[in-house]
Amino acid sequence: MSSLNAVLELGTSNTVLAIGEMQQDGRVKIITHCRIPSVGVRKSKIINLEQVKKSIGSVLRESEKLQLKAGSKITLGNAFLIMSGTHVRTSPLVGTATIARQKVTDAEITEAQRSLRSFGLPPGREVIDIYEQGYDLDGIGGIDDPKGMSGSVLKVHALLVDADADRINDARSAADSENLELRDPLFSVMCAADAVLEERDRIDGSIVIDCGGGTTGYAVFLNGQVVTAGTIGVGGDHITNDIAYAFQTTQSQAEALKIEEASALPTVMQGASARVKMPGDSPLVESRTISRKALNTVTNARLRELLTILREKLSDLDLLHRLHAGAILVGGGAKMRDLPQLVTQTLGTVTRIGVPLYVDGLENEPDPERLAAVAGALMYVQRNYEEKSIFDFFKGIFK
Amino acid sequence: MSSSIILIGVGGAGCQISRGVNRAYGYGLRFLSVDTDALTGNAGGDFALLGGDRLSGRGAGGDLVIGKMAAEDSISQLDEHLKGVRMAVVVTGLGGGTGSGASLIILKHLEELGITTVIFATTPFSFEGDERLRNARSMQSILEENANASFFLPLDKLIQGETNMDRALARAVDTVASGVTLFWRLLEKPGYIKFDAERLRRILNNAGRGRFVTVTSAGENRVEKIIDEIKNSPLLSISTGQLRNVVIGIMAGEDLKLSEIGRLSEALREDFGALPSYELATVNDEDTFSGRLSVVTMLFESQKETIENGKSTTKSSRRSRASNKGKELLGWGTDFGRFVNSEPTIHDGDNLDIPTFIRQNISLEI
Repeated sequence: MSSLNAVLELGTSNTVLAIGEMQQDGRVKIITHCRIPSVGVRKSKIINLEQVKKSIGSVLRESEKLQLKAGSKITLGNAFLIMSGTHVRTSPLVGTATIARQKVTDAEITEAQRSLRSFGLPPGREVIDIYEQGYDLDGIGGIDDPKGMSGSVLKVHALLVDADADRINDARSAADSENLELRDPLFSVMCAADAVLEERDRIDGSIVIDCGGGTTGYAVFLNGQVVTAGTIGVGGDHITNDIAYAFQTTQSQAEALKIEEASALPTVMQGASARVKMPGDSPLVESRTISRKALNTVTNARLRELLTILREKLSDLDLLHRLHAGAILVGGGAKMRDLPQLVTQTLGTVTRIGVPLYVDGLENEPDPERLAAVAGALMYVQRNYEEKSIFDFFKGIFK
Repeated sequence: MSSSIILIGVGGAGCQISRGVNRAYGYGLRFLSVDTDALTGNAGGDFALLGGDRLSGRGAGGDLVIGKMAAEDSISQLDEHLKGVRMAVVVTGLGGGTGSGASLIILKHLEELGITTVIFATTPFSFEGDERLRNARSMQSILEENANASFFLPLDKLIQGETNMDRALARAVDTVASGVTLFWRLLEKPGYIKFDAERLRRILNNAGRGRFVTVTSAGENRVEKIIDEIKNSPLLSISTGQLRNVVIGIMAGEDLKLSEIGRLSEALREDFGALPSYELATVNDEDTFSGRLSVVTMLFESQKETIENGKSTTKSSRRSRASNKGKELLGWGTDFGRFVNSEPTIHDGDNLDIPTFIRQNISLEI
């Protein structure tokens, strides 16, 4: 029996539900995915539970319709939750063990691991994941497996990702009302990284940037491990808002301008019209045009500021100029015109748009980078929860 | 760009002064007269009659309640004159019926349309009698609340000691004109240091109550003479509230030297540079200013919360102040406030929800 898994992403701009199936060759195939615009979420946080409940209901029904068209019928009982938002925080963890007899033993490795995991979380926080970053022996780091090596003090490093328990519970309540049980929360940008990075990227140094509507997630890799990850509370919505304010437009006009006309670079390309027509107008204002240069200037200012904040974070950790595999952009905002050039200018890295590499089913997808987190989450679930399928789970729930 | 600012004269006195302002500017202003008295419209130009049905064009008779009702009756008549308008300078004389009563309704209506409002209101001569003085006084704070920026000019002070009535009125008009036309001049006849409409509107949005002084000089040492007079001006040294914004316009003809701009800006920066919002721009208008140098210094003391470069000062109040600043900025009237219900994103003391181009003072040519 094939195992099916579902993931749910409650983003600021979109709510996405995807179902993946494990195939013969061990790869995940996304058999359906559907996206509906989100209501009730701001900066990746639920601000209106009722609206989110409706969103989840809608996306479930859309999904059922799509499945019916494809000739299959799956009733979802549970899904994994993809989380993003500034409430998701990362911090470095260290575990220590002293080496009794010169050479590191299994027991001592276990002790270091135990020490690592004996951290206390402040109340109200829930662990999402712990990413190991390798060992160091007497200060010499970069060790993958220290067994049998000589030294006196063994340390293991990891990156802890934790989130606000209330936010997770809010998502669970919303899903609950639609009879959907939400299982372990997963960190969005890390999922995206799993989907779009090759092993070489992780070794040579890379940064995955998840350009969301409410927030921007980032994860940095070097020498095969994640070095740091986090979220900045600025996203596509901020660009829209800036445009609306600058040109005194409605939010929807600004959104249209951002998607259709704006560029991340402040210059106007040759051949592009100097003035941009306003999408729709209020009756008291004559048909307006705005300067393309001004539009790009506003967009560029916001994006450059965001990327500069990222740059500072990289610089603080001495990672600038060490990311040779470059920046990989995912998410809805990744395809902003000229954004890769701006990223290259600000971060000094080569830049590409990320594409999920290890899942099938996205061949006809025009913007696969939007599904990076979802693809990565399905891969993760597949790896770690292979035994149970959602059918088994559903059997257990007798409603 | 110029057609997006309109001069609106309200009431008999307001219309008379505005005509004078328009003349001082060489008749280049977009101008609308508004009154309850139909005769005011006879002077020509765009005119909107308030309370036509109620008053049959006879005027409010000094009763500000009648003036207010007349305005409420006819407010939509202004709309055809307001196409494409983004900023309105309202000029009125307080004390009477139309000026005091209708101005408030007009300001509110303009605000609803998302138009930035600046009001220049004269207050009566002391010899005009108690009732007019009372009317004027009662309207001042209400008008201040309802306009983005407001200037109250006591007529006693405007005539500056002139005894001849005609000359006195001419002088009053000149003074008002120097302040009012500054806005047009800054935008239409930019000089070396430019100003753009968006920046001006942004400053005026939370400006509050203002004062201005115009100093003109010619000949040798004109810059030093001007600096001297500004520094000693009594008007600028008294402040009742918190001085927050200053806008300085340096206006001259073609003979304006860079060194003069430098000297002026250096001297003025000494006195005003520490203010949260300090703006200096130059106007090049050879026709009007040939050989002369004129500096208009406008100071605003806001009782409202202002942007202060988006930086909050105290840690404890940081969050609520920051989110309030975001809200105040986002008050244009269209479906704004996307971030109103979410926690503000604070980074290094900056509220990142406030548009970047504003916090970084990036000027845009719309």
